[in-house]
Amino acid sequence: MIPTLLGITIVVFAISRMAPGDPVALSMGPGGMMDAQRAADVRAARMKLYGLDKPVYVQYAIWLGRVARLDFADSIKHHRPVIDLIKERLPVTLTLNLISFVIIYAVSIPMGILSAVGRKKFLDRTGSVMLLMLWSLPSMWVGQMLIGYLCGPPLNWFSPAGLSSNEAEQFPFFQWLADRLWHLVLPVFCLTYAGLAYLTKQVRAGMLDNLRADYVRTARAKGLSNWTVIFHHAFRNSVIPIITILATLLPAMFGGSVIIERIFSVSGMGLLAFEAVTTRDYNVVMGVATIAGVLNLFGLLMADIAYAMVDPRISFESAV
Amino acid sequence: MNGRSGAFKFFLFLFLVVIIFLQFLSMVQADRLYDRLNTLIGRLESRASVPTRSTEKPTISATSAKEYPGNEGDWLVRSLDSEPATLCDFLVSSTWPTRYIVLYNIYESMIDYEPDDFKFRGILAEKFSISDDGLVIYFKLRDNIWFSDGHPVTTDDVIFTYNTITDPNIDAASLANYFRDVDHYDKINDKEIKFYMKRVYFLSLGYLGSMTIYPEHIYKYKDAREFNERRSNPVGTGPYVFEKWDIGRQVVLRRNENYWGPKPKIKKLVFPFITNSTAELQSLLSGKTDYTRPVPDQYSEKSNDENFKKNFYCLSYWDAMNTGYFWIGWNQARPFFADRKVRLAMTHLIDREAIKEHILRNPEARIPTGNFYIYGLQNDPNIKPWPYDPEKAKQLLDEAGWIDHDGDGIRDKNGVPFRFKYMIAADLALHEQIAKLVKDAAASVGIEVILDPYEGSVFFEKAHNRDFDAVSMGWGGNVEEDPYQIWHSSQIGNRGSNYVGFRNSEADALIEQARQTLDTDKRNKLYHQFHRIIHEEQPYTFIYTRPEQRFLDKRFQNVIVHKLGIDEREWYVPAQSQKYK
Repeated sequence: MIPTLLGITIVVFAISRMAPGDPVALSMGPGGMMDAQRAADVRAARMKLYGLDKPVYVQYAIWLGRVARLDFADSIKHHRPVIDLIKERLPVTLTLNLISFVIIYAVSIPMGILSAVGRKKFLDRTGSVMLLMLWSLPSMWVGQMLIGYLCGPPLNWFSPAGLSSNEAEQFPFFQWLADRLWHLVLPVFCLTYAGLAYLTKQVRAGMLDNLRADYVRTARAKGLSNWTVIFHHAFRNSVIPIITILATLLPAMFGGSVIIERIFSVSGMGLLAFEAVTTRDYNVVMGVATIAGVLNLFGLLMADIAYAMVDPRISFESAV
Repeated sequence: MNGRSGAFKFFLFLFLVVIIFLQFLSMVQADRLYDRLNTLIGRLESRASVPTRSTEKPTISATSAKEYPGNEGDWLVRSLDSEPATLCDFLVSSTWPTRYIVLYNIYESMIDYEPDDFKFRGILAEKFSISDDGLVIYFKLRDNIWFSDGHPVTTDDVIFTYNTITDPNIDAASLANYFRDVDHYDKINDKEIKFYMKRVYFLSLGYLGSMTIYPEHIYKYKDAREFNERRSNPVGTGPYVFEKWDIGRQVVLRRNENYWGPKPKIKKLVFPFITNSTAELQSLLSGKTDYTRPVPDQYSEKSNDENFKKNFYCLSYWDAMNTGYFWIGWNQARPFFADRKVRLAMTHLIDREAIKEHILRNPEARIPTGNFYIYGLQNDPNIKPWPYDPEKAKQLLDEAGWIDHDGDGIRDKNGVPFRFKYMIAADLALHEQIAKLVKDAAASVGIEVILDPYEGSVFFEKAHNRDFDAVSMGWGGNVEEDPYQIWHSSQIGNRGSNYVGFRNSEADALIEQARQTLDTDKRNKLYHQFHRIIHEEQPYTFIYTRPEQRFLDKRFQNVIVHKLGIDEREWYVPAQSQKYK
């Protein structure tokens, strides 16, 4: 894992530094009012202030040294520790993503099973069509439409921006929670609907493979009830692909979505990373990428462990 | 119940528990921040060692509205399209939202322009003057002024502010640039100060006078890092004080009950960040915000909607302090654009009225003829923009020797085809639309334009290095400005802002002379001459300058459009229509 992680950091570092432009040029902008010589001096001074005047490999070594001590350095734009910026934005992203993943799984797994059991019947067909239609709608557009039609007069059902009302601080807990949940409806919907199709199809395909298998026929021949056959035998064997998808969840939860955050004016990890890239805020880019990398590797490890749990045939013993 | 389904239920339950727990955590965190802020404010208030006025704690409660008869109270909720990186208006990282939040609300300067005249008036300064030779600038602060914590404002704070801005370790380089002409200062006493200048410069008084004054006793730092990192909790002299900044959500200011001047009526200013323009408008329509800056399409649609206008003001006004202009620059280092006739032909080719009408959709936008604020005194109103005239353009191109010799449909001269790259910033839709119009217009007379979009940081880098054929950009404006940085020939190359390489010895001489002319009328005459040269030479094709546009809830009264823009601090809401307690 450590060499992989080092590799990730080197690649991200190299790409971010190879991109043309730099944070100083950007923050100085077109510099209309600055005298030429003065501008050149200021630029040199600020490059030095941020340590950008050193050769790239030295910068990397310095950065790596700090990360080894769990110090992700300071944001160039914000003059604040990267880790603080992440801490401020992570709860929002986690809330949104956790809720939407739970909903995706809670809807997709039963949908997948039902479609597989009633293959080519009404529910399967209409369900597939509906989900694929949803899947093909870009969330950018759906978000705008929802805000445009549901959030203003005459309907005024939801709030067009942010995660709480103006006076939310004065609310008692349950009213506050209700207010928060009410604000979460649209962003969560936009994060959720497109994911349903993919997972449902995965579950359906896995179930179909297994329902056709000999052991299912045997089980039915033994006279087991339909539900026992489906859940105990077929579903259990269809879980593996779902676990693989689960493994990618961990970094995705951390990552957030630029589009959704921008449309609903929610400041989460997605916008943080996006703005860091566009303003060449190297330290933030590196911090986010490294943490995402660690989570990714960790997620894969967890998935491997989970395989062994659900499927006794997979074991790590034989490798030793 | 079998085991599998039990495990599933367990995980579902676990997920829900985690979510509720996270909500709880974020609430606790919000409370903690709030507490911390309160203790901080408390500490700041207790630190005020020499209060000139009792620092009674402001009481914001439901009953306090009764104490103020009439029109006091209510909030102004003003949406901003992005979150500022800092609330310190010195720092390079400060943005427009920073200024909207803190300027005039939290920080004030010694002098400022009269709202209805292009003249200075004292704010924190009671008297100010510039000596006849232009080398000594004098300020006398008012007697009864204090910061929001009750600490009196003295010349030490002015000196501290000046020293902070010019400290090379403070990340305020672009602002510090304005103070290069200061030789030294001389503190006469606690209220009077003189700045001695190295050379005469007509803008010196304005630059020094419009520094926002920061309290030394609060901002004093040992290490510049401390100041650079202090992005929140601003303390100043202004009519509002900082209440809180919910990261990613909003900044809230409340009225400074301890303000030295006449207090504004509105008790709270709330600045939510709404990054999506549709959502900004919807928030306004559904009453969640009161004041917003619409995009051009929204303005042109809603300002014709009678229903909308019943409930909202559609404000369109010229903000003299901030009105910039948009232009296309022709790089004179390229063979095509070295020739004045070609530049003039390009201007004749572009239908700027059409841009105004169809792209900006703003009938109040104007086509500038030069670089000065069009309603300012530096601008010569007698110069009229070059008309849209493609025939004239063709004629000029022919005269300049750009003729389609080889019959491939593209004009050429000495074997060089008239084909150039037009650099635009990639994320600005407006620029792209204009660029397409230019491309079509050029194609119709045998010039090929290749659009060359770049993302912000690369765009600026290429502009600085003058690595472009044509570029579109905007410059900010002000009531009075100095064309030196953009038009003087010394500013070509070496990261100077004369990107197009405009070089004209007559213009150079006028710029230099005008800088040292303190008499306003004489100076403006020089600028009128300079303006004429720019108009004749057309180093840029000036595309548009436009008024600011705002939507505002109609419950606000006394909304006045001044010559220099609007002042939110004049507004009030009549008691019966107040919305927030």
